[in-house]
Amino acid sequence: MFGLSRIGTDISTSVKKACSSAETAPKRKHVRACILYTWDSKSSRPFWESIKLLPIQDNEIQVFKALITMHKVCQEGHPSALVGGYRNIPWIESLGRYRGNESPYGRLIHAYAAYLVQKLRFHHDHRGFNGTFEYKEYVSLTAVSDPNEGYQNILDLEDLQDSLDDFGKLVLAAATHNHGNECMVSALVPQIAESYGIYKFQVSMLRAMYRSSDAPEALEPLKERFLGQYHRLYDFYADCSAIRYLTSLITIPRLPFEPPNLTAADDEDGPDAR
Amino acid sequence: MSTTKAVLRSIKNVTNGYSAAQVLVRNATSNDPSGPTVAQMADVANHTFDRGEFLEIMDIIDRRLNDKGKYWRHVAKSLTLLDYLVRYGSEDVVIWGKDNVYVIKTLREFQATDSVGQDQGAIVRVKARELSDLLNDDERLRQEREAASKKRGRRRRRF
Repeated sequence: MFGLSRIGTDISTSVKKACSSAETAPKRKHVRACILYTWDSKSSRPFWESIKLLPIQDNEIQVFKALITMHKVCQEGHPSALVGGYRNIPWIESLGRYRGNESPYGRLIHAYAAYLVQKLRFHHDHRGFNGTFEYKEYVSLTAVSDPNEGYQNILDLEDLQDSLDDFGKLVLAAATHNHGNECMVSALVPQIAESYGIYKFQVSMLRAMYRSSDAPEALEPLKERFLGQYHRLYDFYADCSAIRYLTSLITIPRLPFEPPNLTAADDEDGPDAR
Repeated sequence: MSTTKAVLRSIKNVTNGYSAAQVLVRNATSNDPSGPTVAQMADVANHTFDRGEFLEIMDIIDRRLNDKGKYWRHVAKSLTLLDYLVRYGSEDVVIWGKDNVYVIKTLREFQATDSVGQDQGAIVRVKARELSDLLNDDERLRQEREAASKKRGRRRRRF
């Protein structure tokens, strides 16, 4: 009933415009059109079909922009976007394989494709998480009722956070080397949202685990690793805050100066930057 | 300038066959630099209690929310209006907002630069973030609506 005007817009046109060959950020309005399309039609198939048909293979900027677009649609689109992405893992891997190291984009594309595949596999194994890992009470509750599963969940989340961290560093290095190139910097936008979502989730999940667990020693390795990630994330956000293009576009979350106390009750979260 | 635009808009209202309620919304979310006024928003809110008019109103708001960057005022004003309707309008507005929260959420990264190169998207980004947070927080939403209905009752008694 609603949004008929939007369904009328052609998804392949939006995809084509989002992944144009200009070395700029993928235009938000076209990315948004793709995201809205998946919600309006409650399906991501047309999106994946049209992005696979794009003749982008010979242009590394277009490949990179396509990866950013896919990442955004997986994050903000209808849940079916994640399922569709999982089916297209071989194609995403082929995008990552295709270029060597001869240009700054080559390495980024390779790392981005690898990260996207890892993210899609994670979502396939752990249903209940949405694309940006927004906190959902029931997921942490199910994790607590089955400590083994909860342990595995946190471990997998930490793996994902590590890869995200490595990839973020790569992008930051490439972007500063190329004088704040907007096309590269725009890849940081979905990364910031995702890393913060994972961080929030880890905190509340670990807290719930500590509260219900009889053997807190068993959680020590998870905590150690989390603290390391906390410090790296803190630095990552500090580096991102120095990029004007980013700070004008999104609010970069500010982590508390001290790492959160995991054994405390679930009240003091520090200033919430969302 | 703005008067010619206003005249043009009233002609469009007739030629495109908009209903009375839709005209109210179009006026409240126009490209004029001022408004929407509280009176305009309250007017629209009263019309959301009529089932048929509600659908017409949301149709226009939906279109305005998806306007292009050049018309960032349409988007910003529709968010203001929708925020008001969620508090003061009928329960249907809340249900519509929850069903279509992705339309609002995706506006959190809205971008628009005017002819002088000034960034005008910030206001839309802030409003979109606030409204989607409100729609996600059932408890706060309930309190806001209760407070709003009390205020409305007081106003009615005074007149």
